[in-house]
Amino acid sequence: MRSRSIIGIAPLLAPVHVLILSVIVLPSLYVVWLSLNESSFGQAPTFVGLQNYIDVITDPAFRSALWNTVVLVVVAVHIELALGLGMALLFAGGLPFRRFLLVAVLAPYAVSEVIAVVMWRFLFDPDVGPVTLMLQSMGLPILDWSFEPSHAMILIALLTIWLHLPFTFIILYAARLAIPSDLYEAARIDGATAWQAFKRVTLPLLGPAIVVALLFRYIFAFRLFSEVWLLTQGGPARSTEVVAVYLYQEAFSYNAFGTAAATAWIMVLASLLLGAGYVFILRRQVSANANA
Amino acid sequence: MNDRNIIALSRRGFLGTALGGIAALATQPSWAASKTLNVLSHKVHQTVLGADGGDLLADWKASNDADVFWTTFDSNPLQDRLFREASLGSTDYSVGYMIDNRPTSEIAALFEPLDDYLASDPIEDFQDIAPGLVDGMTVDGKLIGIPVRHATQGLFYNEELLQEAGIDAPPTTLEELVEQARKLTFTSSAGTPVVGMVLASDLAVFPVMFARAFGGDFITGDFQLMPDKDAMVKGLTVLREMFEAGALPRSYATTRNDDQVTWLQQGRAAFTVLPFARNAQLNNPEQSKYPGKIKAVEFPISAELKGKMPMSSIVEAWAMVIPKNAADKDLAWNFIKEVSSKRATLGMALNGNGPVRVSTYAEPDLVAKNPLAEVEAAVLANARGAFPPFPEAARAQGIMLEEVQLAVLGRKPVAEAVDAIVERVTPLMPA
Repeated sequence: MRSRSIIGIAPLLAPVHVLILSVIVLPSLYVVWLSLNESSFGQAPTFVGLQNYIDVITDPAFRSALWNTVVLVVVAVHIELALGLGMALLFAGGLPFRRFLLVAVLAPYAVSEVIAVVMWRFLFDPDVGPVTLMLQSMGLPILDWSFEPSHAMILIALLTIWLHLPFTFIILYAARLAIPSDLYEAARIDGATAWQAFKRVTLPLLGPAIVVALLFRYIFAFRLFSEVWLLTQGGPARSTEVVAVYLYQEAFSYNAFGTAAATAWIMVLASLLLGAGYVFILRRQVSANANA
Repeated sequence: MNDRNIIALSRRGFLGTALGGIAALATQPSWAASKTLNVLSHKVHQTVLGADGGDLLADWKASNDADVFWTTFDSNPLQDRLFREASLGSTDYSVGYMIDNRPTSEIAALFEPLDDYLASDPIEDFQDIAPGLVDGMTVDGKLIGIPVRHATQGLFYNEELLQEAGIDAPPTTLEELVEQARKLTFTSSAGTPVVGMVLASDLAVFPVMFARAFGGDFITGDFQLMPDKDAMVKGLTVLREMFEAGALPRSYATTRNDDQVTWLQQGRAAFTVLPFARNAQLNNPEQSKYPGKIKAVEFPISAELKGKMPMSSIVEAWAMVIPKNAADKDLAWNFIKEVSSKRATLGMALNGNGPVRVSTYAEPDLVAKNPLAEVEAAVLANARGAFPPFPEAARAQGIMLEEVQLAVLGRKPVAEAVDAIVERVTPLMPA
């Protein structure tokens, strides 16, 4: 009876499996195959084993791009988390004009990345940008991002945080609203201070949401591309290049599909490695909940 | 109200409608031209052929009962898509536009050799098309593309700013250019901070032009890498000194081609290097604060070489190609023939295209409309590409630009940067 019902259900589920197989599994396998070959336009792929991986890993430009990516991801994601958490608590605590402010906070997520970069590029233009002129008029140092690589990295991080903060915020805000108010009432009756209530009630109950937000942002942030490409194109002299820009250059500027495919898989592994700690925590939380 | 009456669709009604629809389609009503030619190009290639009342292909479309469907991209994505389409089993695109520094032997093999088409169904006065441009599209002895557009670089200057700084005439030597650029790094009477010169940092064109002004080059047509290193050092030193003096913008490393146009239009820069075809855009009253005041001359050679050899400016050419896997090669050739005709070449030139036919420059209509036609023709006579096509050309260009940026920004001594270019590009050169 059970097997018959599975057979009956299988055709209904098949479209999902076919979809996943065709748009994720098969292209991934193709990229694995491509990464083991030397390939470009007009030439038949030649099997080279792991040479593409060795070429990429030993390329100083890739190592620099990987370092830039890790720095940007770690800095941007954690600042986003701190800001998102602070704002979620502020909103949950009650704010005047809450609906209006909510729209204002979420608005950057509705802006196209390309538009956002063009806008920021204009705002921070080193010669005529309104923000630059304002900082100068106040006697403050400007972001000399078109000349100083470290300033360019700061601008990229600021832009990324601005663009993606709504994602972290909305997850944490929803999770915070789901915490029953009885728990805070009980904490208050027990004489807990605001800090103790945050530490003993809010933080533990927000834990799973924080891990999910971090994990998703780590994965998304590792693909960081448009902010860098449209702002600096990885320059000056490749000093702000990130791994996704390196991959783009290999694939679409140099038409070296083998090394581009190898870079893609290294990206997947590196982002998994970076997020592994959080995956482990998430798994532990899930199994703890299952056993509870 | 009975819902059933609104949404009811009987099996008979459904089948009847479906069969009726199929029958209507089967009669092949004449909604459009019977043939469609799909073309992959840059937007500019479509624009110069005109539209509506000024459509240069109107007669061709009517006589061939064909319509042209354009798919346009920016240069690099266009080349990528073209090569991708040509690598497939078959493609709907029968004509593509290719830049002359792309066709390596491997790439050329993806496209139809055109020699037989040319022999059996010749293009009008083919010898009139600049031989250098035709050579650029001849790979392994086979002609794979018909030149259709060239972009020859000239030195643009803002005449009003020059006059404001007390300069009567544009420079005739590179040293004069540097001197004038320094003088023009000032605040104009309009209150705009002006830099002497604006150049994009992501194109090999500019450092190569400066090297050529001293008789050097990056990679020659016969694949010699930097045959005169001293000339490259001199060229890059000039750029470095201009940057140090503020005569190049501090944002040099993030300046792009489009910025050059807007900076000149807004009077934020006095000089730039752009294709002569940009003249109309730079002087467009709707976009430029200085319409009619932005002029162009040949990029000047250094004083030591003036009169001894001509300046070899950079020219980039586009050609029309037919993918080997194209659906309708005969219609494609027919289109190419039409676009290459004298009439269409002149029409496109009047719309701002760099004409590939030598005779077009003598056409009275063009001379009357384009004040730069004469100087452009003279520059074109000695111009050549920035570097020849070879499999690792794009990577070689990338390395060169990286080292040039380091040198110009002062992060690496110029001589060291030049040595690094030689060391890093040598392994990429064709055997």
